[in-house]
Amino acid sequence: MSGSDINRRDFLKFMGLGGVGAATLSGCDMPTTVTLEEGKEKVVAYLAPEEYAIPGIGVTFASTCQQCPSGCGVHGRVREGRVLKLEGNPEAMNGKGLCQMGQASLQGHYNPDRITQPMARKGGSLVPVSWEDAWELMREKASGTAQGRSAWFTGTVSGHQSVLLAALNKAWGSKDHYVYEAINNAVGESVNEAVLGDAAPAYRLDKAKAILSFGADFLGTWMSPVHFSREYAAKFRGGDRGVLIQVEPKMTLTGANADLWVAARPGTEGVVALGIANVLLSKNQVDGKRLPQAALDVISQYSVNKVTEITGVAGDTLVRIAEYLKERSPSLVLSGDSAHGHVNGYQNAMAAMMLNVLLGNVGKTIEASNSVVFGELKAKRGNSKAMLDFASAADAGKYDVVFFMGANPVYTAPTHLAMAEKIAKVPFKVALSMFVDETTMSADLVLPVQSPYEEWGTSVAPYQPKEAAISMSQPLMKPLSAETKSLGDILLSMLKYHGVKGYEGYEDYYAYLRSELDNMPASVKAGKDGDAFWSSAVQKGFIKAPTKPGSLNINLGDVKQGGYQAGGDYPMHLVPASNQTMYDGRNANLPWLQEAPDQITKIFWDSWVELHPKTAAKLGVKEGDFVRVESDQGAIEAQVYIYKGVHVDAVAVPMGRGHEGYGRYAKGNGVNPLKILSPAVDKKSGELATHATRVRISKTGRSEELPRLGGSEVQVGRRLVSTVSADVFRRTEGA
Amino acid sequence: MSLKNILENWSHYRQTIEDGGHYEYEHMWGMAIDLNKCTGCNACSVACYAENNLPTVGKDRMRKGQGMHWLRMERYWDEPEMGGEEKEYQERGGSFLPMMCQQCNAATCEPVCPVAATYHTPDGLNAQVYNRCIGSRYCSNNCPYRLRYFNFYSYYEESWPEPLNMQLNPDLSVRDKGVMEKCTFCIQRIRTGKDKASREDRTVQDGDIVTACAQTCPTEAIVFGDLLDQKSQVTKLWKAQQVELGKTKQDKANTELRGYRVLEGLNTDPCVMYMDRVREA
Amino acid sequence: MQTKDINENIAWAKINEDVLRSMENPRMGYWVALACCIAMISVAVVAEIYQYQVGMGPSNLNWPHMWDLYIATFVFWIGMSHSGTLLSAILHIIQADWRKPIYRFAEAMTTFSLMTAGLFPIIHLGRVWNMYWVLPYVSDRGIWPNFRSPLVWDAFAITTYLTSSALFLFIGMIPDLAICRDNARGWRQKLYTVLSMGWQGDDRQWRHFRKIYLLMACFLIPLAVSVHSIVSADFAMSIMPGWHVTTFPPYFVAGALYSGCAAIITLFILLRYFFRFDEYMTIPIMEKTCKLTFAIAMVWTYLNIIEFAATWYGHDMVAKELLINKFIGPHAPFFWAMLFLGSVLPFTLAFEKLRRHLPTMFVVSLFLNLGMWLERWMIVTPTLSYSYQPFAWDVMWPSMVQWSIVFGSFGWFGMLFLIFVKVFPSVSMYEVKEMVFHRRHYHSDEVANKLHRRASDDQSGAEPTREGA
Repeated sequence: MSGSDINRRDFLKFMGLGGVGAATLSGCDMPTTVTLEEGKEKVVAYLAPEEYAIPGIGVTFASTCQQCPSGCGVHGRVREGRVLKLEGNPEAMNGKGLCQMGQASLQGHYNPDRITQPMARKGGSLVPVSWEDAWELMREKASGTAQGRSAWFTGTVSGHQSVLLAALNKAWGSKDHYVYEAINNAVGESVNEAVLGDAAPAYRLDKAKAILSFGADFLGTWMSPVHFSREYAAKFRGGDRGVLIQVEPKMTLTGANADLWVAARPGTEGVVALGIANVLLSKNQVDGKRLPQAALDVISQYSVNKVTEITGVAGDTLVRIAEYLKERSPSLVLSGDSAHGHVNGYQNAMAAMMLNVLLGNVGKTIEASNSVVFGELKAKRGNSKAMLDFASAADAGKYDVVFFMGANPVYTAPTHLAMAEKIAKVPFKVALSMFVDETTMSADLVLPVQSPYEEWGTSVAPYQPKEAAISMSQPLMKPLSAETKSLGDILLSMLKYHGVKGYEGYEDYYAYLRSELDNMPASVKAGKDGDAFWSSAVQKGFIKAPTKPGSLNINLGDVKQGGYQAGGDYPMHLVPASNQTMYDGRNANLPWLQEAPDQITKIFWDSWVELHPKTAAKLGVKEGDFVRVESDQGAIEAQVYIYKGVHVDAVAVPMGRGHEGYGRYAKGNGVNPLKILSPAVDKKSGELATHATRVRISKTGRSEELPRLGGSEVQVGRRLVSTVSADVFRRTEGA
Repeated sequence: MSLKNILENWSHYRQTIEDGGHYEYEHMWGMAIDLNKCTGCNACSVACYAENNLPTVGKDRMRKGQGMHWLRMERYWDEPEMGGEEKEYQERGGSFLPMMCQQCNAATCEPVCPVAATYHTPDGLNAQVYNRCIGSRYCSNNCPYRLRYFNFYSYYEESWPEPLNMQLNPDLSVRDKGVMEKCTFCIQRIRTGKDKASREDRTVQDGDIVTACAQTCPTEAIVFGDLLDQKSQVTKLWKAQQVELGKTKQDKANTELRGYRVLEGLNTDPCVMYMDRVREA
Repeated sequence: MQTKDINENIAWAKINEDVLRSMENPRMGYWVALACCIAMISVAVVAEIYQYQVGMGPSNLNWPHMWDLYIATFVFWIGMSHSGTLLSAILHIIQADWRKPIYRFAEAMTTFSLMTAGLFPIIHLGRVWNMYWVLPYVSDRGIWPNFRSPLVWDAFAITTYLTSSALFLFIGMIPDLAICRDNARGWRQKLYTVLSMGWQGDDRQWRHFRKIYLLMACFLIPLAVSVHSIVSADFAMSIMPGWHVTTFPPYFVAGALYSGCAAIITLFILLRYFFRFDEYMTIPIMEKTCKLTFAIAMVWTYLNIIEFAATWYGHDMVAKELLINKFIGPHAPFFWAMLFLGSVLPFTLAFEKLRRHLPTMFVVSLFLNLGMWLERWMIVTPTLSYSYQPFAWDVMWPSMVQWSIVFGSFGWFGMLFLIFVKVFPSVSMYEVKEMVFHRRHYHSDEVANKLHRRASDDQSGAEPTREGA
């Protein structure tokens, strides 16, 4: 940043400020003694200084975190041309808070294992090449591809990059853009779509007085956790404190905060919902008028005893939950990974939605999302069906060239999918990536992209049902390596090369964005124009557009539930748990997160197997023993952790470790439970049923100290943190 | 210092520090942590790593217990003596307790350092002077909360391979081996805030200075501020919970209030107040 | 009833000869022993250099175990140093004659234990090169050490004690050094001439000598008690459960006297055997030493019981849980070993047959000292393992680096002691003569009259006696 080769104007452009007066810059931490008016220069004597960067005083710039699909707004503290620390953007949906993934995303930017140069496969391995060679290879191998024989395989994309990608795909005559996320709410979205007509309605945690969550870890990994955490703490747990009930086979972060944590037999969450509905209708005298007769008929078959038999949840518990839902209104019933990831996942989600309908939550705590004017910028949400579809297409030899970006299917795909082999069938694979992860390792050409803190861009968070904000990304510093390019620039170059109309006039992606923002409708620009609009967008970190409220209709589907099947040779249920530390594996190269103890088990740097004390006693293992978890697809070995936060019949192994590449911090650490998943899909939605795998566990005889932080797991009566009853809380601190 | 002076002002000199002692406190930085809001997400701990140049030590050293987590998120399970019955499952979830240096006013670590590398600042903070520390580690042994961490190796040699070292915060040092360290309430931010206020010719207002952990907390469970500032949010919380400095046992008018300080019976007089977690039943 | 601690017929010259003979050129066995000690020291030096370069990590010290064997061994060596003071000073004041043949090497042991102990506060520091900051010197910055810290008191106490003990040892040796001077040639003569400070043995010198000796003895006793009390303050002044115990000062002093006595027995047997000091380090004296050890062992046991009882019946739940953990937790084998070796094993000292059997006593004394070393370890480590915050509970075992340095400290002590016994008289010749003199007067007047002359005696015709000063 202190190179005198950047002239002032370039630099200002670079740092997101136009040639405007200091007045518009009041939002940042700007010393007011500096003027930026044309022709005036105040020199700060320190080598070749930047205009307003006083050495020793940080300047804050807004950008967007891309570590998970939530897309939270961040403020980056920049000093002497380096971004040092990220905080939440107080005006964004996440507020001033930022989760540990966002904090650690900075280590992704500064990671020592970043790809700094394009690489091409020569003689079996990837070797560094120049950009000229890279483009040459592309021209040679990809440019002449026939229409419809190319595809893009990405993670969640949104904003103008998404527009460019769609244009590029169209130019190549391809309809195949696979958007894949290992951790997704696809089953929930299809139920929402079917029942409410809105795939992503607003979940009003701030209005709810009771939340019943079937495995939706909204404080940890579900949808937009930082945003939900804000609403959860400030409103839901505020004065008139709400009740949280979590039903899941393994305790997630949300489960650890629940007033009542219930372990139901994996896959039977829908039956639990029916049981609760049964109690509500019979015992709590809730009026069933909102439900269709077919649903009422099904519910009446599920008496409490029958439900207990199927699910293992005690009758008292069902009654207690029903009472909470009845007494504390309005309630909100959510469902997430562990309920959706079964062959009957759709049914489970439908049953949970049925409870919402029964209790009249639709319209109160579930509201319609608002419509936005810039539909083409909206996020393309990922699901796992995309990966399954892609695998079959690649296997059938449908593609001559595939582009990978922001997704790592070779790592997250179960072994039965044979993803690596199927991808190998594609003659030419291009990976746009920051790190040599497993998918990048299998590519023929690797184009190094810049980190989210080095590039210009826009994004739209997948979950922002009430707002219509386009989040801005701007470089927080010069790119660490001159040979990396931003995604937008790469797409633009490719569009220009293909002579796609409308893109030839743009010098670079920055120019394109400036132009696009200039051309936004007046309602979005709210009276500002040109440089003023751009400056305000970049300074604030987002553009808020007006929205129109939507509406929900209720059309409840079939709530029938499937029977519970025995596992035969494989008696236990495998729960490949998502956790905020590793997420779907993308965080494994961030040392802060590797060293951050898991939120529930406090284990770091390695994988583990969670067992209930009864299961452990039956098997005869103690903490730290290595056990073998074997499905019909393969086996993994990891150390045992014993606690009461996992169902007796479940074996929980965290997702995210067990990488075979991805840098020094990720490689060789832990095991990947996704590999041994059985080939099960949710029948209705086609999603990969990640929680449907049956396993058996056996001792290996090896034992080692478990890498767990913390000595005693109980307070030994020392009252370091005790518990106050909610009634007392409402009395002393209630509104 | 005449004899007459000493005899006349003896009671004044005898006062303990928390009563003002022989110098006036400009600030008394304190925190209020609401365990009802805290979800145990650990963002505070990672933000602390980012802000304070904390090294990651790797699996083996972390397992040996040589980690450098100034702020650790403790998690306890229910036990029968504390009100949780012996159930088949952890029905009430976990009890999370974020522990950082409590900046005790009657710190047990301060008197025992042989070289006075740790002392009480006029801001009410317990300061650690890295370049004075000779590494006798008595202070860490004497901390009842075990919140002091020692540099067992020169972590800087391995923890920040290029370009990770560019992330290091230049506002504070990277510690060498043999030196004790602990949470400082982001003293570099306090200093920057105070400097800014004095540049602008005003006093420090509530909200000017926020620690890294308090800033990143998604639920705003951690509130940081000046306990001597009657208008600050943290003071209001302490008052609302009827928790006071300088006591080993709070005597509250309303005993149902859930504010407390950890291990205050040991007379450490910590500046961090916690508010008990809440569960429905 | 006075036992026959020493044979009153021993001639003065014989005493000189026997003791001086022990200082003659050593045989192979001595060189082997010295080489072993130096080997042990080398092991420790290598470990310490490694630790100095890399940091304290290789010692397995961690959070929360910030102290371990280094401090335990430090306290052990300080404890061992009370042997000399006990024998030289305390027994001198109560006029226990039987100490006279053995107090010299005990006093030497004190000095060398302190020299060994003094190494550990330096070794255990994270930044060893700055250790002099603990000493109060006028610095430009006007920074002084923190006088409230027990570690600074340690620094003062140990340097004072070391200086005083060394001085006491030296002063007490002056008459003997004069004897050595009169019988030496070569470098030894030069050395002893300087060291004996012109001692002629005349009446005036003896009178002054006696006064100084008594004064120093009286000075050293409270010093010794306070030194170990201060070292115990390292623990007692802290807030940690298991450390924050008011009985620690007397407990540590009792433990110190205990390990000192046990060490005396060990070295007694070794010196008696290798230098053939049978006539001076007699069995009755051995027995008296053993009885003294037994008495102190009982005092130590009593203080242990007080500590357990106070914790058990007290209100401090944390300390009580820690105590229970010491008995049944991971440190239990060492703790029970300590109790056995410290409280049960000394009963062997109650039986005369065993007391008189020197090989048994040798082994027993070594185990008694092992017990006392374990005691120090069991004071330091379990407290740190199980302190107030249960999340911070941890069990840690020391690494080879720590064991090497501890091991090496014994080598260092051994080397110093081996050098001492060859350069300086390890039995106090003049005091043995005094002992013999008193015995003669007490037991047999005729022998006394025959052998002892006075200036007023009728000396006509008498042959000049060979009995020298």
